[in-house]
Amino acid sequence: MKKIIKILIFLSFLLGFSGLAYLQERSEEGLVIPNEEIGAPEIVYNKPVKGVLFSHKYHVGELGLSCESCHPKLFEMQALKAQENPDFNMNALYQGKYCGACHDGKMAFASNTKCATCHIGVKGLKRLEKEMKTGKK
Amino acid sequence: MNLGKYLPGTKASRFLLGLTFLVFLISMAFGIHAMHIGYRHAYGVTREIPWGVLISGYVFFVVTSTGLCIVSSIGHVFGVKSFIPIAKRAVYLSIITLLAGFMVIFFDLENPFRMLIWNLFSPNLTSNIWWMGTLYGVYLFFMSLEFFFLLVEKHRSATIAGLLGLISGVAAHSNLGAVFGMLHGREFWYGPYMPIYFIASAAASGCTAIIFFTYLGYKLMNEKMERAMEISLQAVGKVWALVLAILMFFTTWKLITAFVGGEGKILAVKELISGKYAFNFWFFEVFLGMILPFIILLVSRFQNLTHMFIASLLAFIGIYFMRVDLVVLGQVVSHYFELSITDFPTFLSYTPTIYENMIIIGAIAFTILTFLIGEGVFKGHKVEIH
Amino acid sequence: MIKRWFKEFKNLGNEEIEKIPDEERREFLKIGLIITGVFAGGSLLSVVSKVAEGLATPEELKNNYPYKPHYSMVFKIDLCIDCERCVEACNLTNQVPDYGWRTMILERYSSKAVDQKRIFLPILCNHCNHPPCVIACPTKATIKDSQTGIVKMVSYKCIGCKTCMTACPYNARYFNEERHAVDKCDFCWEKRLSKGITPTACVEACPAGVRIFGDLSDPLSEVYRLVHQLGKPVWVLKPETGAKPNVFYTIS
Repeated sequence: MKKIIKILIFLSFLLGFSGLAYLQERSEEGLVIPNEEIGAPEIVYNKPVKGVLFSHKYHVGELGLSCESCHPKLFEMQALKAQENPDFNMNALYQGKYCGACHDGKMAFASNTKCATCHIGVKGLKRLEKEMKTGKK
Repeated sequence: MNLGKYLPGTKASRFLLGLTFLVFLISMAFGIHAMHIGYRHAYGVTREIPWGVLISGYVFFVVTSTGLCIVSSIGHVFGVKSFIPIAKRAVYLSIITLLAGFMVIFFDLENPFRMLIWNLFSPNLTSNIWWMGTLYGVYLFFMSLEFFFLLVEKHRSATIAGLLGLISGVAAHSNLGAVFGMLHGREFWYGPYMPIYFIASAAASGCTAIIFFTYLGYKLMNEKMERAMEISLQAVGKVWALVLAILMFFTTWKLITAFVGGEGKILAVKELISGKYAFNFWFFEVFLGMILPFIILLVSRFQNLTHMFIASLLAFIGIYFMRVDLVVLGQVVSHYFELSITDFPTFLSYTPTIYENMIIIGAIAFTILTFLIGEGVFKGHKVEIH
Repeated sequence: MIKRWFKEFKNLGNEEIEKIPDEERREFLKIGLIITGVFAGGSLLSVVSKVAEGLATPEELKNNYPYKPHYSMVFKIDLCIDCERCVEACNLTNQVPDYGWRTMILERYSSKAVDQKRIFLPILCNHCNHPPCVIACPTKATIKDSQTGIVKMVSYKCIGCKTCMTACPYNARYFNEERHAVDKCDFCWEKRLSKGITPTACVEACPAGVRIFGDLSDPLSEVYRLVHQLGKPVWVLKPETGAKPNVFYTIS
């Protein structure tokens, strides 16, 4: 009996740890910060490079773009889904895919300029992560 | 063997002897523990501010040592009669304060034992640190030699050793100033000011120390001061007042010139006079370290030794903060401050830990302890005037 | 001994502008004006003032760049996105502990800036021609390599006085407990270059082509072409210290 309990405890620990590892894995993939006002989150992609921000707050809240402008044609209605695609990279953007549909130098600044505007980097990622944890806006 | 005869006389001095010995042991324990857990964990210094109060403490002690050597040389080397009675004690004190400085730097260097090897076998002659370290070694040798000759009453030899000690001491000490002054990446320090300031500062510290310790020695031994000694200390007081005036002059111009020139220097000086270090600067460094002792000296008319003793005690406290400001302020302005970087604040901060403070306190305890032992063993450093 | 020392000292300061012929100097002051006009952060003049485009023959190059290869790095900083793959690669390659760094990315941010508010600025050891750290080290534990110009550590000689850390204008050094010595970027000399692997780990890892590494004394190299062009501003950090760095910054 005791042995079984021991094994059970061991197993639950194992599960707990793997769960923790899984959570860590999730945050490695990127950040999704809910925004109730807008109804759509701030998204930080971590693939193929870390720390690329898409802000619904800016695009919907300030620019007033509608959901249909991007969804579901350019992006599926699921946060961080796009980065699973193998072609989610700068070259695709230059060919007018994803962000590149608007960021072509005519509608919005071209994808190959002003890099650090969307690329908030590891520093930006960490800052947002911290804000999320402390519940600060 | 009866150790009692070497122990100094009064109850107070015996108490002080025991206390300082205890404090010294405790601080050693702190130092060794810091060494064991690693200085990165034990000390408050960082990558950006790698020099903290231990460097300040080292500077404090070796400045005092050089100053004592300078003061002792006035009588001993240059033959000014009135300065001769203080000379022997000054030489002894200059040796022990130098050792106290070495003790502090020992706990600052990450690999002190490597220094013994590579200072000798891989010298870098463009390095002021190398010259400073080597010349202080030479200085220690000559000062010890001078003290030995004084003990065996070979005054001619002592004078020669004293002269060589003075030369090596001044050379070593100006090199210590140059350690800061030749760092061309650090605007607050860079320039010829530092070596010159260090020598002037040493003379002030030397006068402070000899007045402080001579007076304390007589009080603790419960002995009445001889007339010759009184005259001698009064003469030191006059020199001290002069050097204090020079220091005030230096400090004033350091501040004024800092307001033109590089922005990094302006920022550092602003931090010193109106920022986080303002209290350190105005109260400790300027008021306790220079102005108040100067006023007390004038008021005492260089006659009242008790007043002069109080002045020297205050000045000692002030001088310590002077060294802290000098060392830390050179590093507080962030390397890339002009680029509006979010990674570092414009002003970096440094707070010493208990380990660092305990090592400084230990070195002070060591100085007082060895001073007391010296008073006992060498019977008040009496010198016959020939 | 003293003579050798003096020679070494002279070699360190190899690029005094005083020695340039007048004509060339005028040309260069012009360039300097263009550059400093655009970027207040420093000018090209401070380091490579002697070599004007088209004027340098290989013989002159040899004199101007005393090292062969004269290793150098150029950053196109507007391309940097702070993905920090360079930092990760460096840490892995050189076993940099978590409390230290050999290269890092600084973030410049100004809410008052027109348009883009943020730019990243990668930094590392500048492998200066007149390195304050090398001058200050008491035991020659840090040296300027006479072949490559790389500022290296000789770890076993380091006494840990940390003077080099205070001497460095670029914050490029830290004390490494595992090595019992100060540690810094060596352009991956120990782990890669000395084994014939080029470029450095950080350059290889960069996905955005920010970092360009090469031989500044070779007119065919990319670093040479980037540093000796007039179309775009080229600058160094903290030129006022006189350290004469070999790390340059430009835009794409």
